[in-house]
Formats: sequence, C-alpha cells, structure tokens
Amino acid sequence: MGSGLSSFLLICNSTTTAPPVSPEPGLGDLPESVVGYILLHLTPQEICTLASLNHAFHHASLADFVWESKLPKNYEMFVSRVFDDDKFCYNLCKKDVYAKLSTPTFIDGGTKNVWLDKGTGKACVLISSNGLAITGIDDRRYWSWISTEESRFCSVAYLQQIWWFEVDGEVEFPFPCGTYTLYFRLQLGRSGRRFGRRVCNSDHVHGWDIKPVKFQLSTSDGQKAISQCYLSTDPGKWNLYRAGDFVVEDSKVPMKIKFSMTQIDCTHTKGGLCVDGVVILPK
Amino acid sequence: MLKNLNSKHIQRFSYKYLPQFPISPNSPKLGFSRSQIANYRSNFPTTIMSSSKTIVLRSSDGETFEVDEAVAVESQTIKHMIEDGCADTSIPLPNVTSKILSKVIEYCKKHVETPNADEKVAEEDLKSFDADFVKVDQSTLFDLILAANYLNIKSLLDLTCQTVADMIKGKTPEEIRKTFNIKNDFTPEEEEEVRRENAWAFE
Repeated sequence: MGSGLSSFLLICNSTTTAPPVSPEPGLGDLPESVVGYILLHLTPQEICTLASLNHAFHHASLADFVWESKLPKNYEMFVSRVFDDDKFCYNLCKKDVYAKLSTPTFIDGGTKNVWLDKGTGKACVLISSNGLAITGIDDRRYWSWISTEESRFCSVAYLQQIWWFEVDGEVEFPFPCGTYTLYFRLQLGRSGRRFGRRVCNSDHVHGWDIKPVKFQLSTSDGQKAISQCYLSTDPGKWNLYRAGDFVVEDSKVPMKIKFSMTQIDCTHTKGGLCVDGVVILPK
Repeated sequence: MLKNLNSKHIQRFSYKYLPQFPISPNSPKLGFSRSQIANYRSNFPTTIMSSSKTIVLRSSDGETFEVDEAVAVESQTIKHMIEDGCADTSIPLPNVTSKILSKVIEYCKKHVETPNADEKVAEEDLKSFDADFVKVDQSTLFDLILAANYLNIKSLLDLTCQTVADMIKGKTPEEIRKTFNIKNDFTPEEEEEVRRENAWAFE
C-alpha cells in the first residue's frame, strides 16, 4: 500500500514536469520507477544480472519496494533469531538486508548454519551432529568425532558399531511460509585424504542391509511423517536421506520440529556410518 | 441546506433520486425478453448509480473518448481527479496518445464487465483476453506500460510488466542490449563496480 502511494506521488511529480514521451519508446527509455515494476516479476539473481544493463536498471535494482517483495514476510523475526544485533536492519537498504540474510550464518553456538535461499527467499537450515542428541555419543566404544573438510561444521560423528542406533533432534525457527523437506546427511564408510587423494575406509560398514532405518518427523502444529529405507550400500558418498516434509502456513509463529532416525533392532549391530547432521531445505 | 446546492452537487446527487428503472426486469408483465435481461445485466454490472455517469477523456492528439465512470476509475489517477473535482468537462491526458488510450479503455472495459466471481469460465475468458491483449509490437507494449504507470492502473501495469519480464528472463545483458537496442551508458569501470556489488547473488 505504501509503495502504491509513493508511486502515485512519483507520477504526480513526473506529470508536473511532463517530459515529452519519445515517439517509439524502447526498454532503454523506461524511467526507473517503471523498470522497478518489471524487476518485481524477476528472481533476485536475474535482478542482479540486469543491474549492469544501464543506469535506469541499476537504480531500479536498488529500489526498496523491489527487494521488500523478495524478502519473506517474517524477515524481521528471522533477523532477530539469527543476528544478535538486529538494529543493522534499519540502516541497510532492503537489498543489502536480503544479501546479508542469504549468506550462510552460524547460530546457536555454531551448531546450526542458516540462510535464505536466494531464488525463493525461503529458509535453509543445517544442523550439525553436534546439535543432535545421539544415543551413546559419549561412549568411545561406539562413537567418535572426525575432523573433515567435507562438512560445513568441520567435524562429523563416526559410528564404529552399536546395537541401539538413535539420533534425535529438535529445532525451533521462524521459517517463512512454504513447504520444506528434512534430510539426514549420511555417509557409509569413513573418508579421508591420503597423498592428496580422497580415500574411503569401509572396514566398519555392516548391518545396514538387514533391517531398514526408520525416520520420524513431527511439528508443533501436528504434522507428522514416518518413513523407512535401507541406507545406500555405496560407501564413500555423502547422501541426503529424506525424513519427511512439513508445511509452514503461519510464518508469524516460529515452527518447532522434532525429528529422529532410529535402527533399534538389537538382534544385530550396525556401524561404519558418518553422520554430518540434518538438512532442511525448501521443497 | 437547499440554498447551498450548486451545479456540482446536482450533477453528483441527481442520479441518486432518479426512479429505479427498470423496476423489475424479470417480471414478464413488463415484456422483457431473456436476451434483453442478459443485455441489461451485462451493461449494468454493479449499481445503477455508476453506470449513468460518463467521463470524457482527451488524448494528447486531441481525440475524445466518452467512457462510463466505472471504467474510467479503473485508473487511480483519473479517480483522484474526479474526487478532487477536476473532471467537470473533460480530463486531458497529455501523456497518452489516442491509439494507446483506446487500447487502455478496451482493457478497463473488459475488466469492469467481467465480475470478480470464482466462476472458472469468466476467469479463463479474462486470462485469454489478457494474453491476446499483450500480443502487440514492442513499442506499443512499452507505450502501454508508460500509460498504465501514468494512469496508475495496477492490473494493466502488472500484466504488461510481466510480459516484458518474460521477454528478458534468462538473457544476458549483452543479449538484451542487442534485442532491445539499448545503449550501454556505463563506463567499463562502472560496469565492473556494479558486477562486484552484485556478486553475492551468484556465490
């Protein structure tokens, strides 16, 4: 509504000076305010590409009303959840706010990494295995921590062997409206580097082909998803295993999600698994 | 109160006190045929009050167009001019030629006539009208954008801007400059600076 009023005032201002319209206007003759309306219909990446077209496009690409339409409706909640100092919002133009929010940021003591997806303006959340409740994580017979450059969190949890395999977690976050999918990022086998090459040690890999792994997901507004699958027998590759989807309809209330991955059939042991963490991406 | 009435008041209020004609078009006693009733309904979609008043619009090349007020107020600019009392004789539109104004009026008429119903048929009909409406040459399209902006007709501005956005989607700046004959008014340093400040979008 505010942008409508300001654009009306713009029209009023332009009509008082009323420059003559050229006989055959082209894309390059459109005034900045009008170009802004065209940019409203393009994605952020396209807007940034077209900023280098000419001066009118460049100025239009800086317009607040264009980027306000790209930011999620609850972006102020997002800012206060992610940044300690949320005052910066008031000093930056909306484009810079969007740029800042779409840069991955570590939160909650480095256990989570969040950003806005550049194309859709929806949230992406990575949760480190450090931020999950892993049964037996403190027992060095079962679990250990490996440093690796293949994880954004620089270390992953490695399972030698266990009977009761359970990984739980929960997250509360102001997700913008939309549909999201939750995945577990896992790798069978333990990868490392030897003589500059990537190698994978699958000595401990066992037990995953006997019974499937169960994934569960539930949200604070009553959505539930349950699935099960066998882990891929392809060692040395990081895979995203889909636990389920959830829909955010009201972005004014932060969504609380509980999720788990279990294989608790105690007739057999399983092991040789790297757990990087949980990934939540827009569908 | 009567002595404070002037011609403006009479012009505005007189249609309120006209007899409500026709009284009951559905009544067979009055002898209206079905097609007459359908015609009545399509021409008087909202209320009797709005359809009896017309507005005269004058294009930049001097041509005049008489339109129903309901159609004219699709333009917020014209609506405000009427409300501010600037529309006694005709409304001059120095930034819009007759060719473009007639197209804009055609668009507004269609959108006023089609009720905002959930009827799928009406919605589909309007969509195909809109799709055909923008099948024009480039200079007409840009003229329509400028007119929609000047006249502040949000739906027409959205439609025409979406059309242009679809034309430039996925093209590099060089391709767009070639297709639309746009002059690159950046120095190489300025262009590099702009590219750098937008690099975050491609990381």
